[in-house]
Amino acid sequence: MHRSYYRLLTGAAAIALSASAASSQELTIFWAEWDPANYLQELVNEYEAETGVVVTVETTPWQDFQTKAFTEFNAKGSAYDMIVGDSQWLGAASEAGHYVDLTQFFNDNKLGEIMAPATVKYYAEYPGNSGKYWAVPAEGDAVGWSYRKDWFEDPAEMAAFKEKYGYDLAVPQDWNQLIDIAEFFHRPDQNRYGIAIYTDNSYDGLIMGVENALFSYGGNLGDYETYQVDGILNSPESIAGLEAYRKLYGFTPPGWSKTFFVENNQAITEGLAAMSMNYFAFFPALVNPATNPNAEVTGFFANPKGPNGEQFAALGGQGISIVSYSENQEEAFKFLEWFIKEETQKRWAELGGYTAHAATLESEEFRNATPYNEAFYQTMFMVKDFWAVPEYAELLTAANARIYPYIVGGEGTAKEVLDALTADWEETFRKYGRIQ
Amino acid sequence: MAEVKTKGEVIFNRAAIVAVLIALVIMLTPIFWIGATAFKPRNLATTAPPTVFFEPTLSPFAKLFTKRSQLREPVDEATYAAAPWWEQLIYDGGESVVRNKKTGEATSSGYGNRYMNSLIVSIISTFLAVSMGTITAYGFSRFRVPGEQDWLFFILSTRMLPPIVVAIPMFLMYRAVGLYDTHVGLIILYTAFNLSFAVWIMKGFIDEIPREYEEAALVDGYTRLQAFRKIVLPEALTGIAATAVFCFITAWNEYAFALMMTSRNAQTAPPYIPSQVGSGLSDWTVIASGAFLFLLPVAIFTFLLRNHLLRGMSFGAIRK
Amino acid sequence: MADVMTRLEPDTRAAARGLSDLSIRNLFIIPTIAFLIIFNVFPLIYSLYTAFTDYRASTSAPANWIGLGNFRELLNDPNIWRNFTITAKYVVISVTGQVFVGFGLAMLLNRPIPLKGLITTLLLLPMMLSPAVVGLFWKLLYDPSFGIINFFLGLGKFEWLADPQMALWAVAIVDIWMWSPFVMLLSLAGLSAVPKHLYEAAEIDRAGPFYTFFRITLPLVAPILMIAIIFRTMEAFKTFDHAYILSTQPTTELIAIRLYKMAFLEWQTGMSSAFAYIVLIVVVAITNIYVKYLNKAKAR
Repeated sequence: MHRSYYRLLTGAAAIALSASAASSQELTIFWAEWDPANYLQELVNEYEAETGVVVTVETTPWQDFQTKAFTEFNAKGSAYDMIVGDSQWLGAASEAGHYVDLTQFFNDNKLGEIMAPATVKYYAEYPGNSGKYWAVPAEGDAVGWSYRKDWFEDPAEMAAFKEKYGYDLAVPQDWNQLIDIAEFFHRPDQNRYGIAIYTDNSYDGLIMGVENALFSYGGNLGDYETYQVDGILNSPESIAGLEAYRKLYGFTPPGWSKTFFVENNQAITEGLAAMSMNYFAFFPALVNPATNPNAEVTGFFANPKGPNGEQFAALGGQGISIVSYSENQEEAFKFLEWFIKEETQKRWAELGGYTAHAATLESEEFRNATPYNEAFYQTMFMVKDFWAVPEYAELLTAANARIYPYIVGGEGTAKEVLDALTADWEETFRKYGRIQ
Repeated sequence: MAEVKTKGEVIFNRAAIVAVLIALVIMLTPIFWIGATAFKPRNLATTAPPTVFFEPTLSPFAKLFTKRSQLREPVDEATYAAAPWWEQLIYDGGESVVRNKKTGEATSSGYGNRYMNSLIVSIISTFLAVSMGTITAYGFSRFRVPGEQDWLFFILSTRMLPPIVVAIPMFLMYRAVGLYDTHVGLIILYTAFNLSFAVWIMKGFIDEIPREYEEAALVDGYTRLQAFRKIVLPEALTGIAATAVFCFITAWNEYAFALMMTSRNAQTAPPYIPSQVGSGLSDWTVIASGAFLFLLPVAIFTFLLRNHLLRGMSFGAIRK
Repeated sequence: MADVMTRLEPDTRAAARGLSDLSIRNLFIIPTIAFLIIFNVFPLIYSLYTAFTDYRASTSAPANWIGLGNFRELLNDPNIWRNFTITAKYVVISVTGQVFVGFGLAMLLNRPIPLKGLITTLLLLPMMLSPAVVGLFWKLLYDPSFGIINFFLGLGKFEWLADPQMALWAVAIVDIWMWSPFVMLLSLAGLSAVPKHLYEAAEIDRAGPFYTFFRITLPLVAPILMIAIIFRTMEAFKTFDHAYILSTQPTTELIAIRLYKMAFLEWQTGMSSAFAYIVLIVVVAITNIYVKYLNKAKAR
C-alpha cells in the first residue's frame, strides 16, 4: 500500500511535469469544469494536430463560471478568446459588447439551416427574432428522463399497475401518466420512491425543472418580444403545470429539497427512484456499469406531452462565442469555421459532445449511438428556454423566492404564486424600461 | 494544571478523559468519513444505507491527478491490460484519461501544481502576517500610541466588510498593477486578510507577558530590541504558534479570492477540489481524496507545533 | 485605554544603547498600518462610490449617481430585514455553541491527560478543512438516504435540511463543529495562564468548584475568550460557503448569501455595495460593544 502510494505520487509528478509545450499560435476557450469540456479538449487536440494551433480549454467550477466570466469581461481581459457561455447570458453579454457579433459569419455559413432551429433560436440569437447572432450552438442540452426498466417491466408490477390505473405500465406518454407512475412506485416503507426532480433554488435548477411541466402543459413564462407576462405566466395552463410539478414533489425521496443533476443521477444509481429528470449531458454516467450498478436496466425517454398534446423540454447547453477583447479574433473565426464542419460535428458527437448540427442529429448513426441519443434527438426539436434578458438573474431570484416555498413547503396555491411572480417580473421589467 | 490529589479528583479526572474521548469521536466522525471516502471505489461512496466496511482502493487518487472523461462503456480488455496500473484504476471507475493526441501523454488535472501553489502562498503569507502581526502587537502593547484604540479598531475593521463586495474592485486593482494570477498577489492578499487577526491575537498574548521581565533585562544592559528578541519572543511562543496555525489555515483554505484573482498560473487547490462535482455523478471519492491530501500539511504543521500550543501563555505568574 | 499595566516610560538608558523606543514603535507599527491602508483604500472607496450608483459590473453601461436610492430601496425591502433576522439568529446559535463546546473542551483538556498533544491536534482537524468541502460532505452526512448521521443515530428518515425550521440549526451545527476548536485552542492558552497559587489559595479557603470557576478561572480567561468571540462573531456574520452549499431554503438565507446573489448572480453591483456598507455598520456597532467588554475584562 505504501509502495503503490509512492508510485502514485511520482506518477502524478511526471504527469504534472509534462505540461504542454509552447507554440506560436494559441487559443483559449473558457468553459465550466465538466465532462463535455474534456470532450472538447479532445476535439481541439485534433485541431492542433491539423493546424498546429494550440487550443486550450480552460475550466472553472460550475458555480463560479458565470462570475469568473463576467469579471473577466468587466476588466476587458483578453485571457479568453472564446467562451462557451450559457444561453441566458446572451442578453447581458451582447448588450454590453462582450461578445463579437457573429451575424455575418452565421449568414455566410448558413448556420440557421445547418443547426437545429431551436438551438439557433436559444443559443445564438438575441434579442428574439432580431436576426442578430452572437454564438455558434456548441453543446446542445435539454432535460430528459431516465427510468428503471426492470421496475417497469416486472410482470407483477405491470399487473398491479394495470389493475390500479386501467392502462399498461410503460414509458409515460403524457404528464398524467408520469404522475401516476411516480405515485405507483412511491413506497417509502421499501426505500423506493417515485421520482427524482430538480428542487435546487440556488440558481436555475428548480426553475428548469418546473419549466418542463409548465411548457408541456401549454404554459409560458411570458412573451419574449413584448415582455408581456400577465395572462401568460399566470395562465390556467401555466398554473396547471406548476401544480403538476408540486404533485411530483410528493413522490420524491426524503430530504429532496436542494437537488440538481448530482442528486438526480444518484437517485438512479443508488436505486432510490423509478424515474429521474436530468440534463442529457449527465446521462453518459448512467450507461456505464462502473458508475451505475443499474446501468443495464436504465432506460431513457424524452419529456412527455402535456394533457393538450403539447410537448416541450427545458433547454440547457451552451453556444460558443468570440470574446470582444480577444487579441486572436481572426484565429478564433478560423477555429469556428473548422468547428461547424460536418466532419468536426460528427467527431464531436462521437467524443460525447452533444452536437446541435441538424444533419448529424438526424443520422441513424447518431440516434443509435447510445440508449439516450434518440430521446436527445427528439428533445432538441422541442426545447424552450428561460428569459435571456440581461436582468434574467433577477427574474430567476424572484421565481425561486415565489415557487420554492410552494413546491417544497406547500405554501399557498399555484395561482397565488404565479400571480405574485407576474407582479414581481412586471416590476423588474418596468425598472429596466422594457414595459411602461 | 490542577494537580490530581484526592480520590474524588481521580474519579473526576477519569470522567474528564471519558468526556474528551466522546468528544473526539463526535468531532472526528465526519473527518473519518471523508478519509474513508477517499479510499472508496466510486460506487460505494453514496449507498443507502451507508457503506462502512469496504476494500480500499487508490482509484480516487489516480483520478485526482489526471484529467478524465466519462466512458459510456467499459474499455476492451486488451486496452485495459496494456494500461499502466494507475490508468487501470481510472478505468475501474468508469472513466478514461484525456490524452494529448500528438504526444500520447496523459493530461494532468493540475492538482499537483495547485498544491504547490497553495504551499508557497500559504507558507509565505503566514510568515509575513505572523511576523508583522507580532511586532505591531508589541508596539501597541508596550508603547504609547496616539489614538491607539482607533488604530486597533481600524485594523480589526479590515476584516469586517463582507469580502464579496470588495472582490470586483480588488480584481480591477490587481489587473491594473499586474498582480492578477501571480503568487505575489495572493501572498499580499492573504497577508492582509490575516494581519488584523495576527495583531489582535498577538496583542492579547503579549499583554499577558509581565513587563517586569523586560525592565529587568533593560537594567541588565539589553537594548530594547534585544529584550524583545530574547525575552518577549520566547514568552510569546504559544501565541505565535496559535496565530501561525490560524493564519495558515485561513490562507490554506481560502476559496473565493483564489478563484477570482488567479487562473492558470497561480491558482491554489481549494477551488479545484469541489469542482470535481462536475461530471455526471458527483464523484465524492475524488473530492474526498483531494480534501484528504489537502488536510495533511495543516495537520502535520499543527502537530509539530502542538507543544508550543499547549505550553500556555507566559508564566502567568505575576498576575495581581 | 483602561489597561492595568502601567506603560513603560521611554527608557533613556536603553535608548542610548540602541534604537530609541520611539523609532522602534514607529518601525513596528507604521508598516502594518500603511500596508492595510494602501491595500484597502481603493476597494473601499470604489465600493463606497458604487453604493450610490446603479452600476452593474456585467455591463459596460456607465454608473449613474442615484444618491441614497439603493439604501432607501434596501431598507424598505422586508426581505432584507428577514435576512438580518435569520443571520442574527444564526450568529447567536453558532457563536454560543462554539463558546460552550470550545471552552468546555478546553476545561476538560486543561489537566494531565495522556497523549494530550495528539488529542488536541485531532480535535483541531475540523477547522483545517476548506469550508466548501465541509459543506459538500455535511450535505452528504445529513442526507436521509446516504448519510451516516441518521444511520448511526438511528434517526430514520429525519430531514435535517429539507425542514425549513431545522435547516438553520443544521447549518449552525456544522459551524459549531468546524469552529469550536478555534475557541478551544485560544481558551486552552488562556487557561494555562491562570496562576496555580490562586487555585491553591481557593482550596485553602475551601471554596467550591463553582466559586473557583466563576471567580478565578473565568475572569482570567475572559480577555482571550473575548477575542475569540469577536472573531467568531465577525466571521459568522460573513458565513457563506458551507451554508450556501448545505441549504438554500428561504429560512437559511444569510446576509452573505443574499449579498452574493445580488452581487454576482444579479450583477446589481451598486445595490450590493450599499448592502455591504449597511452590514459593515452593523458589524462595527456590534464589535464596538464587544471591544468595550474586552477592555473591561482586561481591566479587572
